Amino acid sequence: MTAPHAVLAARNVSKAFFGNPVLRDVSIELLPGRIHALLGENGAGKSTLINLLSGALAPDRGEILVGGQPIAGLTPREAHRRGVAVVQQELSLAAHLSIAENIGLGSYARRGGLIDFGRLAASVETIGAKLGLIESPDTPVGQLPLGRRQIVEIAKALYIKPRVLILDEPTSSLAAPDVAMLMRLVRELRDEGVAILYISHRLNEILDFCEHVTVLKDGAVSADRPLAGLDPDGLVRLMVGRDPQNLFPPYVSHAGGDIVLQARGFRTSAAHDVDFELRHGEILGIGGLVGHGQEDFMMGLYGAVPAAADEFRVSTLGRQARDAPFSKVAEAAAAGVAYVPADRRKEGLLLPHTIDFNLLLPLFARHPGERRRRAQETSITERLARRFGLKGDRGRAAQALSGGNQQKVALAKWLPLEPAVLLLNDPTRGVDVETKREIYAALQEMAAEGKAVVLLSTDTPELVHLCERVMVFHNGRVAAVLRHGQATEEAIVAAAVGVRKAPESEAT
Amino acid sequence: MSSGARLYGRIQWRRNDGLGGLFVVLALFAFVYVILFPGILGLNAASKFVQGWFPTALVAAAETIVMLTGGIDLSVGAMVSLGSVVAASTMQGPLGLFGGVLATLALGGVVGAAVGAFVAIGRYPAIIVTLAFSFVLRGVALLLMPRPGGFVPASLSDFLAGVYPTTAALLVLLVVLWKLFQATPLGAGLIAVGDNAEGAYRSGVNVAAARLSAYVASGALQACAGLYMAAQTGSGDPLIGEPMTLAAISAAVLGGVGFLGGQGAMRGALAGSLLMSILINVMFFLRLPLVAQYIMQGLIIVVTIALPSVRAAFRRMR
Amino acid sequence: MTGALRRFAASYARSLVAYGVVALLWVVASWSLPGFGVYPHLRYIVELAAVIGLVGVGQTIAVIGGGIDLAVSAIITVTALVLPMVSFEADVSGLGAIALSLAVACAIGAVNGLGIGYLGLPPLIMTLAMATILQGLLVLIAGGSAISVSNATLDWIGTTHVLTISASILIWLAVAAVCLFWLHGTRSGALIFAIGTNPLASRLSGVPIRRLTLATYVISGLCAGLAGLLLLSMNGQGYVGIGDPYLLSSIAAVVLGGTSILGGGGSYLGTIAGAVLLVSMTALITVINASEGWRSLILGGLILGMLPLSGRDPSR
Repeated sequence: MTAPHAVLAARNVSKAFFGNPVLRDVSIELLPGRIHALLGENGAGKSTLINLLSGALAPDRGEILVGGQPIAGLTPREAHRRGVAVVQQELSLAAHLSIAENIGLGSYARRGGLIDFGRLAASVETIGAKLGLIESPDTPVGQLPLGRRQIVEIAKALYIKPRVLILDEPTSSLAAPDVAMLMRLVRELRDEGVAILYISHRLNEILDFCEHVTVLKDGAVSADRPLAGLDPDGLVRLMVGRDPQNLFPPYVSHAGGDIVLQARGFRTSAAHDVDFELRHGEILGIGGLVGHGQEDFMMGLYGAVPAAADEFRVSTLGRQARDAPFSKVAEAAAAGVAYVPADRRKEGLLLPHTIDFNLLLPLFARHPGERRRRAQETSITERLARRFGLKGDRGRAAQALSGGNQQKVALAKWLPLEPAVLLLNDPTRGVDVETKREIYAALQEMAAEGKAVVLLSTDTPELVHLCERVMVFHNGRVAAVLRHGQATEEAIVAAAVGVRKAPESEAT
Repeated sequence: MSSGARLYGRIQWRRNDGLGGLFVVLALFAFVYVILFPGILGLNAASKFVQGWFPTALVAAAETIVMLTGGIDLSVGAMVSLGSVVAASTMQGPLGLFGGVLATLALGGVVGAAVGAFVAIGRYPAIIVTLAFSFVLRGVALLLMPRPGGFVPASLSDFLAGVYPTTAALLVLLVVLWKLFQATPLGAGLIAVGDNAEGAYRSGVNVAAARLSAYVASGALQACAGLYMAAQTGSGDPLIGEPMTLAAISAAVLGGVGFLGGQGAMRGALAGSLLMSILINVMFFLRLPLVAQYIMQGLIIVVTIALPSVRAAFRRMR
Repeated sequence: MTGALRRFAASYARSLVAYGVVALLWVVASWSLPGFGVYPHLRYIVELAAVIGLVGVGQTIAVIGGGIDLAVSAIITVTALVLPMVSFEADVSGLGAIALSLAVACAIGAVNGLGIGYLGLPPLIMTLAMATILQGLLVLIAGGSAISVSNATLDWIGTTHVLTISASILIWLAVAAVCLFWLHGTRSGALIFAIGTNPLASRLSGVPIRRLTLATYVISGLCAGLAGLLLLSMNGQGYVGIGDPYLLSSIAAVVLGGTSILGGGGSYLGTIAGAVLLVSMTALITVINASEGWRSLILGGLILGMLPLSGRDPSR
């Protein structure tokens, strides 16, 4: 039975997309005056659960209860009316409307059919003061940088005077002082009796800050308990269900081959002065906080964004042919470089097309001049499916696959081209645990075959356990290059936040 | 001034962002126009100019409202024609003058609602829906009135297109109504939908209602333009609106209204339509052939849209 | 096996509906109107459809690739008017003039393709601008008069029948076969579908988008040029505005054939049916003496009616 005073709850909700179950029989209760953490790996179903709680989606089974009452057909408008506010990672702001218009969007105070700009101005001022929103309220939101826009999004949630506040990774794009301000604010709200649901990957934040935790694993609740007595390892164990060590294959270094890629003074718009070299068989990790230039660096390597360098050598093109970075993707692909993007749905796959077509796309793109041959294509896709464990009818649309299987397709499709270098941008984001293990094993296999892998990851344990070396970015520059063994989670995070590390020679 | 009015005023002032260049060009061409034909400053000539400009301004406004929600309307010309036909057909019958005016405007709203139902509720691509509607409306107009004809009472013609400053007043009314609309939740929601439909939905905006209302308002304005042109010529014409679709889109694009939604302002589109009117008049007086207009419209579209893309492309190549 | 059959049916279902409507229309019309269903009349319909169908080849490819070509009517007119200008005495067969005019059509398409593919201009804008500029230039060059043409090859095409099938229909069939083979039987054709579905993912997968876009619009120009020459072979003279009806007809044929205007799917098979459907409808209306108004109205209604088949916008 739902506790009589739960402000917002989900009871036995299930949700599936294109036949893929994302949430299975999940229940959660948000009590007033409690900061409740929602933990789970990417792809565990957290975003879907939030969408159900906020009315943006409807559950296939189960019910959503607001104030103890089951509400059928909850819409975002209705949820707002009942005091449910959400701050999601994907901002809901309109770029061409002003800060004030955005803050009140959907819930404007009215006066005779028009927006009551007087009350709006007053509310914006009050809320703005609490959040440190110093920009003029008539500023079009599109003119603000991402961090400031996130503050506006939070202000928007506060505008409706919520009884429930759901925060999905609110600190991911915020600068440090804003993070502290947000923490203060959330604690104030908690003291006023607001129910808080807090999603974050920063385990220390969670332990610092939250009182109760629900853990989602593969779409089901694997734990729902107070946080007392838990430490970071304990939390991870709850999330992963096993000791983190079993997730990764035992470390083997296949590096030591010839240099395949080398650059001095490599720069893009967000990354500067990067010197690096990449060898055959090496897994090179790239770490750093989001937005510190590492993604731009990787895109520059691939020729997807403009890049320049003092020196740039690629061994696959005969005797070190190039002197300048690739100016377009086709050049990089011709030189044997492959790229698996972070956003597989928008950048990595053609969702409405069949799995087979997706698997064949880079091959077709490299050699477009040929006829299509059914037998040849089938043998290629079958081989890939076997190697990567892709089961089922490959004539289905890629949309029908789970996130993990979609990621496998995004990776597998490059293999027919036999690339020398694989650039992977956060390849296990939103992927379930089983598939992660398969992907890690596949990466090791590819390194063993002599391919060079550049692994950009926001998941620090990946960098710790898989990589020969880790380049950590900070403010667009390489803050540290750590060898396997030296590259502990603390060392990587320290370099990522700009803490000066002892020089390599001092490390044991 | 209350804080509310101050905030609203500042928000409205910010809508000028990015339009500076257009306003300068407009002022320049207006200046050139006056230099070439000083007679334009006289009340009579100025009146005639405004009356010639008004239909283009109306359809530019109609197209802008739809484009702001992220849609497009290719049926503008056909609706204008139908409006003129219906206006000229209904005014001699039992409905009389006022009935005819109301019927025409109502028709525009109803057609707009039908288009909006397909686009906003059915989620069919606006480009095809409005293309299909342009055929349908054109057909209906031709069936109702195969050749120009009908009857518009002289009183209406005199009132709208004669000596009185009615047209200028109507323009002002249009601007005032739009400003009022922007100050309503629906109006703000409309732009939010064009900018970020998913976000607007999650904010509690009724996305379908916003889009639907845009098409209804647009339809009414288009019918208005047809009514006005009927009053100007004294009769209805089933093909009078043919060139107006392109003109509407050109004016909106010139005014900085974007195809993706959210971007742009009514004042930009109105300025764009004014600029086009001035250019057409200048070309007419310089005795340039009619085709020069087509070339000009094509060039306008190219230059306005291409310029930022070309600049970006050159930057990339360097 | 049935899975593959089901999928084939699903992807071509929309085209099949168009054929179904055509068949229905022909049956009903032949039954209720004497003279409609006789072979010469039906052949005439298909002859007329050939022009739309040819323009539709380029338009289908452009739409599948996520774009559109609004310049086709202008290119038709340009080609029809340019032919007499590039005709020369030594060119006995007339093929030289034909080649030159088609080259002009390709060149115009190339300009479109360069603007869209290399400068990133939206297809709607680029082709619309090209169309308006061309219209203007055409009037300047040709004025209002019609220009008669005598070209040996075109005359031959206009009058010859092979096994009772008109040469123009055979030309259409040949071009259609090439188009279908390219779109469904080659890798580069498959890439057009990819680009129309998701240009960003395609680019990141190494698809040569710029080159393929250029090719798309060159082909579209070429096909419009072919259509213009075919028109000439039928009419004997070219004039400003000769190509005007074919812009909307080509788009309508594509849409009626079940190809989504949003790109990424569909087939030229459907466009063929769409073209025949359009002409059949016009013929029907002419025969029953209905007016232009009815034709326009029914055309619009048909497109609206086919909408549930052509696909909706999946986003909010």
